[in-house]
Amino acid sequence: MLLYWLRSGHKIKTIDMGDGWWGPGERPLKGKEDASIRPFKIETSDKEIEDLHQRLDRFRFTPHVEGAAFHYGFNSTYLRKVVAYWRNQFDWRKQVEVLNKYPHFHTTIEGIDIHFIHVKPSYVPHGRAVRPLLLVHGWPGSFYEFYKIIPLLTEPAKHGLNEGDVVFEVICPSIPGYGFSEAPHQKEFDSIATARIFHKLMNRLGFREYYIQGGDWGSRITTNMAQMLPQSVKGLHLNLVFIARQSLGRLICIMLGAYVPWLVGFTREDVRRFYPYMQKNVYDLLRESGYMHIQATKPDTAGCGLNDSPVGLAAYILEKFSTWTDKSFLRQDDGGLESKYSLDELLTNVMIYWVTSSIVPSMRYYKENFSKDPDLSAHNRVGVYVPTGIAAFPQEIAHVPRVWAKDVYKNIITYSYMPRGGHFAAFEEPKLLAQDIMQFVQKVEQL
Amino acid sequence: MLLEVLLVLGTLLIYFLFSKKKEETLPFKDGWWGRGQKPLTKEDSSIRPFKVETTEEELSDLFRRLDQARFTEPLENSCFHYGTNSVHLRKIVSYWKNQFNWKKQVEILNKYPQFKTKIQGLDIHFVHVKPPRLPEGRAAKPLLMVHGWPGSFYEFYKIIPLLTDPASHGLGDEHIFEVICPSIPGYGFSEAPHKKDFNSVSAASVFYELMLRLGFNEFYIQGGDWGWLICTNLAQIAPNHVKGLHLNMVSVSKLGLTHLLSVLLGQYFPGLFGFQDEDVRRMFPFLKKGLYRILSESGYAHIQATKPDTAGCGLNDSPVGLAAYILEKFSSWTDIEFQNLEDGGLERKFSLDDLLTNIMIYWVSGCIVSSMRFYKENLQKGIGTQKHEKLTVQVPTGIASFPNEILHIPQAWAKKKYTNIVSFHFMPRGGHFAAFEEPELLAKDILQFVDKVEKEQLWKKKGE
Repeated sequence: MLLYWLRSGHKIKTIDMGDGWWGPGERPLKGKEDASIRPFKIETSDKEIEDLHQRLDRFRFTPHVEGAAFHYGFNSTYLRKVVAYWRNQFDWRKQVEVLNKYPHFHTTIEGIDIHFIHVKPSYVPHGRAVRPLLLVHGWPGSFYEFYKIIPLLTEPAKHGLNEGDVVFEVICPSIPGYGFSEAPHQKEFDSIATARIFHKLMNRLGFREYYIQGGDWGSRITTNMAQMLPQSVKGLHLNLVFIARQSLGRLICIMLGAYVPWLVGFTREDVRRFYPYMQKNVYDLLRESGYMHIQATKPDTAGCGLNDSPVGLAAYILEKFSTWTDKSFLRQDDGGLESKYSLDELLTNVMIYWVTSSIVPSMRYYKENFSKDPDLSAHNRVGVYVPTGIAAFPQEIAHVPRVWAKDVYKNIITYSYMPRGGHFAAFEEPKLLAQDIMQFVQKVEQL
Repeated sequence: MLLEVLLVLGTLLIYFLFSKKKEETLPFKDGWWGRGQKPLTKEDSSIRPFKVETTEEELSDLFRRLDQARFTEPLENSCFHYGTNSVHLRKIVSYWKNQFNWKKQVEILNKYPQFKTKIQGLDIHFVHVKPPRLPEGRAAKPLLMVHGWPGSFYEFYKIIPLLTDPASHGLGDEHIFEVICPSIPGYGFSEAPHKKDFNSVSAASVFYELMLRLGFNEFYIQGGDWGWLICTNLAQIAPNHVKGLHLNMVSVSKLGLTHLLSVLLGQYFPGLFGFQDEDVRRMFPFLKKGLYRILSESGYAHIQATKPDTAGCGLNDSPVGLAAYILEKFSSWTDIEFQNLEDGGLERKFSLDDLLTNIMIYWVSGCIVSSMRFYKENLQKGIGTQKHEKLTVQVPTGIASFPNEILHIPQAWAKKKYTNIVSFHFMPRGGHFAAFEEPELLAKDILQFVDKVEKEQLWKKKGE
């Protein structure tokens, strides 16, 4: 017990970089890895579209109970409408062209093909610096979530944003196992391996120092990146904060915070978003985390049917785009989906999972990250010392007050209560997120 | 007018008389689960014979889906640790397409008489098997057997002959049963509820009405998985009609300080907590066999209890996905160590024909989503919050405790809820799907339990 206490209290400065091999079979002993960066274009075929249409046509629908809205999951009456649109109006060829408007590439790292888009500003005004910015997506999202925010970051002036002297060149990779990145063939591919691979990617692209941004898994991966190579990370921006440890001190904070928030460092907005505690942090999380539980334990089972039924895949993924955008959408028969997104963009994201058959590997990521005892895993014991910016969106699944974020993120430069928006910040509120990233970077540049 | 007034007064009087007993019994839960409003006309209570049927179209649609199934390669050396291994799943799908004969299996399903009858707005399907021969002057004892998830009435097909015709199977003919196996509403050929809140108490009430409609005033009931809870509720609703309750699975939801202490110290002081050696062997180390096992095996329950319509959507569209999801349970719930095998140990205890027949029942009836909703209706308010969880069971109870059941509940814990345990046996082998996997062991335990209840006329004593 003493050893355990000693080990768990011992703060280490950085996470070990380590190394990995994720390709099939054994790692080849001889020969250097092919480090070429190969341009890539997404393609489709008549066969692919025909197969999709056949599956949509023969979908077997189950009527929901009366008054279900979205309380039982995705409402099957509304699902029928989505499927009808998907079958008859959604144009995948056109969407592929939309996806290809930014340059895509592949490069092999640690035995697997890493996909990424790399967008440079088309015009850089005199005297402006171009900073590299890595944006990392999560589940059930993809690189496509960033398509609306990218132009705001590469050409802010054109979009009415004028945040100082910085414009960005943006790199959005796909996490291995997601979208067009090859899936790892070996076990134990976790966020630390991902962080290392993304550092290698930036390095290969010629960058020594860069900004990184993420939400969902992207938040954990970028945090790991900052813990692993702080000297390469100029600034870390997050739209979701994970906190792993609950302790007695926290529990007391929770109890007191409702009555004397100032005593425990909670702001009024913290209180508004955080309480009632049981409802928002326990019940709501329990209600929303079934997917996480099954994916962290039986991913191959959970994803099997979804890789075979596009409608099942859509229901599973779009349910998150409903509830995680706004919890009150549960009460609506159509899940409020089209009030914030277009069906074209929602289905394009689903199609990325469908055409790449990546739903099962994407789910395995949960098992690989949650299997180990959280108390012993490195990144929960290592602080984050790089300048950090946090954008706290009101409809995020759970709210983390600044005072708690400080436990891990020792160098918070900005913490903003965003006026609106949920979990898929870049997808839903690209302008708000872009503005927050820019004001954060501006502050960091002045440090 | 006078008649109506008298009826109302009479009902109120009866209500008050019965409400005094509310402390001990669970109220019968009436309901209307059909579509729309309950019609004013009286419900059709006829019992109609039913036969499972199939068509060429059904088969060719299935084959097309099997042919076009999209698999994902498993990670190297992952066996069944990530769920159903797709390499093995491919082999099963190949058997399903080329050797499995659904028409033949339908004939097997139809070998026992099946019926449908409308109760509380739903068409309830059930199998009703009477003994092939009864010695002079003997009566068959009615026995209601209730399945669970992801099982079906088909799980009982091997045990039924052992109970209706024990003599032909070397089990003696002291007790001969007529067996009734209904399908839980929302499962198999029973209609799915169209309204919210159809939970285990609703199912117990429906099955109670079924038994009364069949003319049974006293009967035995048996169950595992959801069948455990439904039968428990039935024993709580109608203790005067249930002669005996037999369970192959028990669970407890009221956990208190004693439970916590016995988990921490039970390994060292078993006697203090009423644990037998076998209890200790099965329960400890508790983290591994209790907590971690629950966590690693309950993901499905978590998602089904919160988002059933999402979870089941793809499974009703992909027979391969459905098979993967269901077969995983037949692997790990039969023996948790089967996860370490490349084939999940599936064919060690079951034939592929049997496994696929059960899956086909879910497929052809399209019931996977409604079967999952039962989790939400029972669990969404949280475990330990429902009224029936706070009530005890006084009916004579027999428990068959199988060693590979997901969680072991010792008699010391069970008897807090089941106050009249007549027999509690550690079975030598077998897992969660007891009737399917070890029909003879289960039948023998049921018989010895019924023997005890009958010989000591225990069901008459419980009223006091």
